[in-house]
Amino acid sequence: MARMILMFNKQVVKEYPILKDSITVGRNEDNTISIDNLAVSGYHARIDPAGSDFILTDLQSTNGTFVNDKKIVSHKLSHGDNVMIGKHVLLFVATGKEADAEVGEQKMDLDKTMMLDTAKQKELLAKQKDAAMAARPAEKVGVVSFIDGSNLGEIELTKKLTKIGKAATSEVKLSGILMPPTAATISRRPSGYTISFTGGMSKLKVNGEVVKDSVPLKDFDTIELGSFKFQFFQKESKKK
Amino acid sequence: MLVKAFGISDVGLKREGNEDSFSTDDSLSLYVAADGMGGHLAGEIASQVSVEIINKTFRKWVDEEAGVDDIFGEPDDSLSLEGNYVLGCIRLANRVVYEMALEQKKYHGMGTTVVIVLVTPTLIITANVGDSRIYLVRDGELEVLSKDHTIVAEQVEMGMMTEEEAATSSMRHILTRNLGSAENVEPDVFEIEPTNNDRFILCSDGLTDLVADEEIEEMTNNEDDPEALCRKFIDKVLKRGAHDNTTIISIFLSDMRKTNEGPLKKIGLFLADIVIGVQKIIKKIVP
Repeated sequence: MARMILMFNKQVVKEYPILKDSITVGRNEDNTISIDNLAVSGYHARIDPAGSDFILTDLQSTNGTFVNDKKIVSHKLSHGDNVMIGKHVLLFVATGKEADAEVGEQKMDLDKTMMLDTAKQKELLAKQKDAAMAARPAEKVGVVSFIDGSNLGEIELTKKLTKIGKAATSEVKLSGILMPPTAATISRRPSGYTISFTGGMSKLKVNGEVVKDSVPLKDFDTIELGSFKFQFFQKESKKK
Repeated sequence: MLVKAFGISDVGLKREGNEDSFSTDDSLSLYVAADGMGGHLAGEIASQVSVEIINKTFRKWVDEEAGVDDIFGEPDDSLSLEGNYVLGCIRLANRVVYEMALEQKKYHGMGTTVVIVLVTPTLIITANVGDSRIYLVRDGELEVLSKDHTIVAEQVEMGMMTEEEAATSSMRHILTRNLGSAENVEPDVFEIEPTNNDRFILCSDGLTDLVADEEIEEMTNNEDDPEALCRKFIDKVLKRGAHDNTTIISIFLSDMRKTNEGPLKKIGLFLADIVIGVQKIIKKIVP
């Protein structure tokens, strides 16, 4: 897949795939590649697919479009072309992985870890993030809801590690002769919630299956611990 | 509980210096790895200083039995005391690297990633900033316990990019968080319970760039000595061109005893079933 890599101050800002449709570059938000900078015209340039090639056309922009430091009106893009629009550079990467690696070596060391540091890039990234955050569901928190008539109701799992047992420090405190100080724990991990059996004589069962070590939890899993029975699910967090 | 750990760092075949640093302190069961960035030895300094400060600060707080309010910055009440120690150490190391980078021109722009695993008998604490990783291999299966702070990882999380696109993206090495580039940093800290035979791998991107998760899982499952595993990882990376520095720490847990486990366990479980049965009957009789 051919791509345009948008760079500012020699740092990558974003990359855009070029597929079968024409794409536009400009300051206005409805451009495929939107660059919020006064040096860029509202609709600055356009890229059209032509067979297996791509043609770049300047849309009579105020400050012009430059390919490898030459002002162009229309230009057939070749792999590695540097398209300068205002202070931003669009690097054209032709289809194919080998080509990708070559660009990496020539233009910048893409294997090298670097920090996103200029204020401009952070701003751009924040904008992208805001847009994505708006479309994204709210943060969720795990809950255990008791269904054994023990009057314990619903308990939110706000800690990274929730301890379940008789100990006073347990977040989910359960009583009973055979209940150990900590019988099980539920941890919140990058992949989600996981329940683990810690020890003691009260068996831990998830959906009827005995758990000896740990299993990931899914919404509405039924958990049994001794005579207690509760359900796990996630709901939207009130915080944030 | 028995903890066996080994750490190793290799410069690789393409880079002149090694900007990675690590520490394995078995007396504290604290394991730290850092991947520095910034030219002219600055990356090396950033990672070294961070590892040193994290170790010294953590030991100090443990020795002083510091309270949760004594740590650097606001405590996080979703974490244990030890979890807050780890959080505070990272924040402090960040501030020091940040100040050094501000004050001295030769250190300008330096930074580092960091990954930490702390082992206690009841709790494993993991923390990370940047794109170095922490893996857990439990019951033969690999799980990532760190969060990549890169543009692509964030875009994947937000649904703007697929995992496949992320793996080959030219932006995969651009970090959104590291130690040293801002006054404050928030690491991702997780707490899990230890289980017998848990194996943890901490590594810089020198390993993850060249060795896939599936291979890391398989190699970890097939080796019973943390040192031998580290050396096998380094061999593999060198065979594949080692374009970057590679640092790996392997931690193997064993001999974990769960309470009440022993010869009486079976009788105990049988007894438990009876008592639970009786409780259920009582509940039915006495509403």
